[in-house]
Formats: sequence, structure tokens, C-alpha cells
Amino acid sequence: MSDAVTLSLAARPDHVLVADCIAADRFAELDAKEIAELPVVHGGRPATLGEFFTIRGGHSSVVRIEGDLPQVAAIGAGMAGGELTIDGSVGRDLGLAMSGGRIDVRGPAGDNAGGARPGAARGMTGGEIIVRGNVGDEAGARMRRGIIAVTGDGGRGTGIGMIAGTVVVFGKVGPGAGRFLKRGSIVALGPIDRPGTFRYACTYRPPHVGLLLRYLRGRAGVEVAERYLAGRYERYSGDLAELGKGEILRWVGE
Amino acid sequence: MKINGVAIADTFAEAFTMRVARIVITGRTTKWAREAAVKLTGFATSVIGCKCEAGIERELTPAETPDGRPGISVLFLTMDKDSLPQQLIVRLGQTVLTCPTTACFDGFPDAPDRLTVGKALRVFGDGFQASKVIGGKRYWRLPVMEGEFLIEETFGMLKGVGGGNFLILAGDADAALAAAEAAVAAMTSLPGVILPFPGGVVRSGSKVGSKRYKNMVATTNDPFDPTLRAITQSQLPEGVNSVLEIVLDGTDAPSIEAAMRAGIPAACRPGVNTITAANFGGKLGPHHFHLRKIMSEAGA
Repeated sequence: MSDAVTLSLAARPDHVLVADCIAADRFAELDAKEIAELPVVHGGRPATLGEFFTIRGGHSSVVRIEGDLPQVAAIGAGMAGGELTIDGSVGRDLGLAMSGGRIDVRGPAGDNAGGARPGAARGMTGGEIIVRGNVGDEAGARMRRGIIAVTGDGGRGTGIGMIAGTVVVFGKVGPGAGRFLKRGSIVALGPIDRPGTFRYACTYRPPHVGLLLRYLRGRAGVEVAERYLAGRYERYSGDLAELGKGEILRWVGE
Repeated sequence: MKINGVAIADTFAEAFTMRVARIVITGRTTKWAREAAVKLTGFATSVIGCKCEAGIERELTPAETPDGRPGISVLFLTMDKDSLPQQLIVRLGQTVLTCPTTACFDGFPDAPDRLTVGKALRVFGDGFQASKVIGGKRYWRLPVMEGEFLIEETFGMLKGVGGGNFLILAGDADAALAAAEAAVAAMTSLPGVILPFPGGVVRSGSKVGSKRYKNMVATTNDPFDPTLRAITQSQLPEGVNSVLEIVLDGTDAPSIEAAMRAGIPAACRPGVNTITAANFGGKLGPHHFHLRKIMSEAGA
């Protein structure tokens, strides 16, 4: 047993590498050799994780991935616990349908982060995803529970079809955010292109936002300016084409 | 044993095991957190009549609270584990929920016994309430006319201690009051302890039961009433004309001992004759706080 499992990118994939075997809680049961033998799909063909990554350590739910991985998809899919840190960018489907633990990406992430598998009703059902950069389209799609924090910009359809949970975007949020959202919160610290099916409720200081941002700053080391912690937010209820119990909270000032 | 010329009686305070919760109330300012805490802890001096005992433990800085706002820590005690959530639900719902700007958090996050107080209060939201899980804890957001009230879903419950005490026997009422005020000042804000009575002081200490009225649970502590010296078996030394009691509840016995160790010397002032304590012969309460032992450990 080691303090952490470290994966270092050894061979850059030529095609999309679907590495849904990478999950911190799964690695707690495996040694380095067993991790290297885990199956991946490279350009539609089966391969092993060891063909692309050098693996150090084993039997730990603290996992660190070194390298820039925009071609690597589905990292942390179905993860139920542990901590997964990626020192670079990642591809699509980060934390797909995860249920627990924390994924911390030190760079941008692709589409459908924390989202649902194709055809599935639910995206992530718990845990935390922190993306220290921009995120692609439909982050948090159909998420049921959990937190996604994006320090950069969000793409189109952020939080689309959310059932519950929270997505915080520090930068700009693309069009279509929160469409078909039932419950759940999209917290926009920057500009947001809000769907017409969200209706303005009030401008206030939501107590849980301060608590959440303070938590992100304290536990995850996310830089959060003081003005957001106790700031005023516009609350828009929606999606009124759905249940309407969700919200977009847009920061408007101190 | 004497401290500053004041006799420390060779006796002990007898205290009981109670159930305790710590409630952290935050507000936009300390004033509003305190307003809620004062209401929450109002009419909570003794389980005899109030069914609970509660008091302000201390003021919290923004750095000490979950939401980074000023706060007040309250200890809340009942005699059994069933009545603690009942009392908390009723009282938090009528005091903290109603108070502008406040939020309410658990002060015993590591306690394995959890009381679903916030979960019960959520129904005030009439279906419009929402929850958030942050850092593994669930919080309820209740829509209110002001905006939103935030309360943690569960609160921890521990075994605590209620009924720690000491009595200040003085030559007159002014000296007793001055000594009591000094003792309270020395004990206020010590961790894990509250003084549930008005200003921390009791003038009407009680004995168990009644000599005359069989339905009375507690009646005046006549052996310590100076006006009854001539007609009862008085325990008052000569020259004592007024007695005040300090009652202490706490999270554990060491916290109460530490507070008594701070409070007793402060009460040993001019005009005070003796410091003693109330007990029931050691048969009712499992916690015995021996005054001389406690003060010996203080190096008195």
C-alpha cells in the first residue's frame, strides 16, 4: 500500500482514449500491475491502461495523474470515493455518473463533465468535481446530487436537465444553461446567458452560497474573492417548463 | 481551607448526567446572532419547570463559524435523549428561524448520536424548501419573507453534566451579589460550560420535594434561607444574611471543574463568609464536585 497512486502519461494517444477504468476508489483495491492491466478503448480498439501510462504505487484511493490529457475521456466515470487529481487538461465525460469522492482538474475539461451516460436518466449522484479552467458543453447534465465548480468559463447547456446538485461557474456561462432543470442550482459568478424559461424572483444574499464558496476555498483550495462570499445574487427560478424548483443565482455585487 | 479569608466547606456539588447539544447561531452581525441566542435560551433555567436548560456558551468570531459570520455558541441540555430534539425543534423554530439574518449549525459534528432537528423544521418551507449537501453535510434552505433561513439537517448529541453548583454565603445581600457577579465574570465564555440562570445566578435554590405540599417537585432550600434561621434546621454559619447560588451545566465534568476553579476564587471577596455546595447526600447524581479537591488542584 502506498500513499498515492501516480499515473504519468508515457505515450500520447493518437485517438480518443476512453479510460473509464480510472477511478480513485477502484485503485484502492489494486496494485500497480493490476492497474496497468485495466482495459481502455483507444480509437475504438481495446488496449490497456499500462500502454499509455506509467503507474507508480497501488492500493490507495488517492490518485494523481501527470500529463496533459485532452484526448483521454471518461476519467473518474462511476467513481464512488477517494481523491483524483489531474495535473493538466482532460477530455470529455470527466466524472461521468460519479457518486462520490473528489476530482480536481488543474486545467480545462471537455464536454459532459459530471454528466450522464448516453440514455441514462441521471448524471453524477454525489461527490465533487473541481475544474481549474474552462469546461466544455453540458457540464453537470442531468446531475442528481453533488458539486461541480468551474473556475473558468462554462460551455453551452451547463446543468442541462439537472435534477439537483450545484454547479458553480466563476467565469462566463454559455447559452442554454439550466434548460429542463428540475431542482438544483447554477451559481454564476460571471455573465450567464439565461434561458427565457427562468423567471426573476429576487435579489438577496443566499446563505448557502457563502457556505459553499467558503467550503471550496477551505477544503479544495479554490481561490474565491471575498466579494462573492457575502455578495448579492439575483435569483431566477426555473426551468418553468419543468418542475421550476431549481434556480440560477447570478452574482450582482457586494 | 480558606481563600482570601473565605472558608471553603468540605463538601461537594452533586450533578446529573444530561443530554447536551451545541447550537451555533450566526448572523449578519453579532447583535442578531445574540438576539436569537437570547430568545432560544430564554425560560431555560431548570428542567424542573422549563424542561430544558440552556445558555450562551460564548461568542464566536467569523473565523470560527461555518459561514464566516459572527456567531454565538449555545449549549442546550435536557434530562433524556427523547426530549432534547423535541425541545430543540420547538425552540429553534420559534426563535432562531424567526430571527432576521440568522443561520443555524451543529456544534458537535463528531457526535455519533444525531438529532434530525433541521430535517423536522424543513416542513415550515411548505414544500418550497430545498437542501444542499456541502462537505458531506446536508443543509436545509427554508424560504422566509426576509430571504432564506439555513439550518443544518442534524445536530450532534452528547452526554453532558447538569447541576454543578456552588453557594456563596455572605454577610449581606450586596456582598453576595458582588461575589456572584465576580464569579460569573470569571466563568463566562469558558468552553463547554453555561450558567443557565439569570445573570448566571440563582437566589432561590431548592430542595427536593416539599415538607407541606406533596405535589411540589422542588421547594425553597430552607436550611439556607436566612429568614428561616430561627425556625428551621439552618445550615448557615453565624453572620450569614444572604446566599446566592451559581449553577453550572456543561459538556463534561472537567469543563465544569475548570469553571468552578475559576469562579470560586473570584467569589472569595470581602463580605463573603463561606463557599459551600448543594448535594443530595451523593445518592441522586453520579457527578460529585468536591470543592476542596477542585481548589487544591488549582494550587489554592
